[in-house]
Amino acid sequence: MSNIKLGLLVSWPTFWTGFPIKLVFALLLLAGHMHPWEGTGFFLLLLVSIPIDIWALGLCARTVFIDRLKVDPQPGLGPNLWIRWAVFSAIALPVIKIIVSEGTGVAKSVTSSIVHSFKEGLYPALGVAEQITLELVMWGTVATGVLILCLLGWLYGLGWLTQSFVKNAKSLDGTEEERASFWDGLRIPADQPLLLTAFTGAGVVLVFVFWALLPSTTPHPHEEYEFISTGPKEEKVEPKKVLKEAEKVLAKAELVVKKLEEEKGGESKDSKDQKTKEPAAKEAQPEKKK
Amino acid sequence: MQKETQPVNQPNPFEKVIEFVDERVGLKTIQAKMMNEPIPGGSRWAYAFGSILLFIFILQVVTGILLMFYYVPSTDHAYDSTQYIIHEVDYGWFLLSYHFWGSSAMVVMVFAHMSQVFLWGAYKKPRELIWLVGLALFGIVMGFGFTGYLLPWDQRAYWATVVGVEIMDKTPIVGDFIARFLKGGPTPGQMTLSRFFVIHVMVLPAALMGLAGLHIFLFRKAGPAGPFRGTPEELKAKTDYFFPRQIWKDIVGMATVFLIICSLAFIEPVVLLEQATPDPGDYHPEPEWYFLFLFQLLRLKIFGGEFGQFMGAMAIPGAFMAFLAVLPFIDTKPERNIFKRPVALIGWIFIMVFILVFTWSAIINREFLD
Repeated sequence: MSNIKLGLLVSWPTFWTGFPIKLVFALLLLAGHMHPWEGTGFFLLLLVSIPIDIWALGLCARTVFIDRLKVDPQPGLGPNLWIRWAVFSAIALPVIKIIVSEGTGVAKSVTSSIVHSFKEGLYPALGVAEQITLELVMWGTVATGVLILCLLGWLYGLGWLTQSFVKNAKSLDGTEEERASFWDGLRIPADQPLLLTAFTGAGVVLVFVFWALLPSTTPHPHEEYEFISTGPKEEKVEPKKVLKEAEKVLAKAELVVKKLEEEKGGESKDSKDQKTKEPAAKEAQPEKKK
Repeated sequence: MQKETQPVNQPNPFEKVIEFVDERVGLKTIQAKMMNEPIPGGSRWAYAFGSILLFIFILQVVTGILLMFYYVPSTDHAYDSTQYIIHEVDYGWFLLSYHFWGSSAMVVMVFAHMSQVFLWGAYKKPRELIWLVGLALFGIVMGFGFTGYLLPWDQRAYWATVVGVEIMDKTPIVGDFIARFLKGGPTPGQMTLSRFFVIHVMVLPAALMGLAGLHIFLFRKAGPAGPFRGTPEELKAKTDYFFPRQIWKDIVGMATVFLIICSLAFIEPVVLLEQATPDPGDYHPEPEWYFLFLFQLLRLKIFGGEFGQFMGAMAIPGAFMAFLAVLPFIDTKPERNIFKRPVALIGWIFIMVFILVFTWSAIINREFLD
């Protein structure tokens, strides 16, 4: 197997196996008001990543060795391979970053001058959107080419570092399915519900930890947001004012009662007069009945 | 004296409960059928997209229901109730941001899933119907994004909808009807919000559940397509079962996507702009990020004018979708290996590069707007 293919076959699943576990820690740090990309948060995440990467690399490399290369590696594959990969990547990745950023910078400036001279000399009607896309395609092609070449070089190095472990491994017999079952049997419990319940349980615990750390109000408030209460308005109670108003109400009520009594008094006098007048009136109109 | 013997293998209460349920619903049969399903050619990370999509959708439903407890779908209260969710409801900011980023994750996963099916040649006979239903599901996911975008009723929401409805208006014959139906009046207002809300929370979820069920049924009927390389004997020799390898990849995929959405909710939470008004002011209308490539395409001079806008906004995307729909019926060769289908491979790379370049161009173009 070629070095590039071996490097890719081991590094790709290793990344995806370790990444979610590192993300869990990153998210817990975020929930705990700590940025995982700077200062203490970054240091903590880096520290946690080391055992995760060693475990993930050992697991994925052994899977590739048994499944694809038909060999069983020597014990301690994870830590031994990790040290080599880590040292190599610590040198290679910064170099790749410098090459890609320098290459991109040069490509951008060359592209910009080509497109500008084209616009000024040949085609002044070139629109903004067209110019942006043209420049992006030109420098993007160069940058992508450089990046792919660098990544292939890095993968070649990873594969080359892994080859010595392949040479020292014991060869395995049997079909691919038998080898896969052998390897699965070594690391995975046969009880399916038990394993899935354990995974779910771990997930639930992590969700509770996350929820406990999560700020209940937004850490990113809107600049102009003012809370407008939708509930009933609470009024301040001022005892003196309340008593004064109560007195006023009582005084008013007294006046009303007095007026009513007066009206009632007048009414009863009127009704008395009315009662005395009625028989006289009846007597005065006898002819009408007839 | 006779020694009392303890009965061996006596089921404990938990096992009794399991037995009780199993006797009535066939739990163990379902488990055996799901977990021990053979995967010809072995498990793959690329097969995890379908499970991840289902997982994201379930969480979108859960967060959507929680948001509905507080959201008021009226033009008078939509903005205030969304601000209330962000600022006053406990963990409301996180739920809303999760729901927002979850919708983007769905679009990305649908795209990844469609790409995988296309590259693997898994749309070919006998899986044509799975592909067609999948395309309809893609449309529904886009519909979710479009209708959900209006609900916060801020400037971004309002103007993205205005732009979107104007684009739909350009469709021949039915365009005017669709635009009038969605707006419910001459300009976006209460009727628009009500209609978008009902479509978002009632029509589209029901359609998605029905079609997703049909998609899964058709998939199980046809069985997994498996890798595009290798003879049937080779694939049989490499067969894995769903448990443990594929389920592990599915769990890792779901956990990764969930954690990425949570991280995005933290790093880039939803922050509203000013309340929607019919005057854009300084705001430059822009659609959701996954429509940016199309938006940027329409800025090219070649797509200027009424006819150009129609071509760029409706004719070309419509023709592309129609092409995808008939693809299984015109590409009838049984060859599935993508490296032996150069037109398909080059076409896919071209589409990916086109989307990437134009999305990026739209982002750069923001600097030139003021």
